[in-house]
Amino acid sequence: MSAVATAELEYSQIRECSGREDGLTLVTDQSTDLDAALVACAKGDRNGLRRIFDQEAGRLVAVAQRIVRRRDLAEEVVQEAFIRIWTHAHQYAPERGSARGWIYAIVRNRALNMLRDGSREDLVAADHLETLQDSEQLEQIMAAWHRLDHNSRLKECLGRLDETRRRGILMAYVGGYTHGEIAGRLRLPLGTAKSWIRRGLLTLRECMA
Amino acid sequence: MKLIPENFSHIADEYVLGLLGDAEVAEVENEIERNAVLATAVAEARERFLPLDTTVDPAAVSPVLWDAIATRLPQQAPTEVPSIASVSPRVPIAENDNPRSGWRATAISAIAASLILAVGLVWSVTRTVEPLVVAVLVNEAGEVQAVVEDFGNDTASIRLLTDFAVPEDKTMQVWTLPSREMGPMSLGLLEDAHSARLSGSALPRPQDAQLYEITLEQAGGSPTGRPTGPILAKGFAKLAR
Repeated sequence: MSAVATAELEYSQIRECSGREDGLTLVTDQSTDLDAALVACAKGDRNGLRRIFDQEAGRLVAVAQRIVRRRDLAEEVVQEAFIRIWTHAHQYAPERGSARGWIYAIVRNRALNMLRDGSREDLVAADHLETLQDSEQLEQIMAAWHRLDHNSRLKECLGRLDETRRRGILMAYVGGYTHGEIAGRLRLPLGTAKSWIRRGLLTLRECMA
Repeated sequence: MKLIPENFSHIADEYVLGLLGDAEVAEVENEIERNAVLATAVAEARERFLPLDTTVDPAAVSPVLWDAIATRLPQQAPTEVPSIASVSPRVPIAENDNPRSGWRATAISAIAASLILAVGLVWSVTRTVEPLVVAVLVNEAGEVQAVVEDFGNDTASIRLLTDFAVPEDKTMQVWTLPSREMGPMSLGLLEDAHSARLSGSALPRPQDAQLYEITLEQAGGSPTGRPTGPILAKGFAKLAR
């Protein structure tokens, strides 16, 4: 992605934020909403699940698609994930992280499982129009970092890593790549890729602590 | 990498990034259930990376996707919070098929309600006989339905705080669970769905957090001596002090 495009993206985010003065409140309210929606799900109230869907489904489909690449598979992932959210809502414990984190983790796990069950090559059928090609996907992966709020600690700390480590971590989290796939794409021996990622994660934890 | 506390933060990171193998994932998920330190490390790792997901451009979602989800939703499974019938060691499966999933979720409001009511009740009864415990019973929606005061002298008072529609061939029966070994014990029937003072059942002295429950049983009371009908309300006792 070019520097100009990135700057534009950030600019549009700033504009969005300044458009609403209560940006922080909004975030808090949203997470409280999700908490309440999960409680409703646990009681068997479908409106709770519907609220989660209305608020998050668009992003969840996009997150799943970055991993499984195909839109139809991403929707299948989200469908299964919502059924799991419904049946497991009673297990959500607020003391173990945010409702949002819990919901996204379910979608991510489901997407990763789908990816690992079929091989990436099967999923990425060359003639499939909706399939993201490798280069497009790598671009999306790096874009995820650029898109982070410019005040974000994660953005800053990822920025401090050297590029290969940053790429490795983003390929794993955003794209669902395995150690082996990352080593292949970065042209590194497997052991080296593993230890770079490990050291990158340590630096990131220290930076964000 | 071994699943020992020194490695927890790194393993949590790799778990959240999806870099662990199947066997390691299973090991982590198993350990999370009983290891709060690991669970916290995973939660922290999740929150650390979550902004990468929440800042994504949302996809345009077709309403068909919701319909596909809605048609596949199962009935809510029961949660692990037991009802009296489910912990009874002697009864066969109770014919108690009302969904109980809401009980746990309502616990918080029940606790709040019980604190408020317990304080009020203790105050109001101090001039007469002192109950040993007070239990506020709530329905599945978390609404307060009744209050039980157990005096510990084989007498308990049940005050209904809402109207119950009881069919003619049914009756409301009050239960408590003095201990798992003992199983659920009947305190008596509420004739005509009215508040009542029940006495005559010789039971151990009521304890803090003892479970009380009202079920709908056939007229004359449960034929098995154990709760068999749907639960109308339940709650845990607090020691009156």
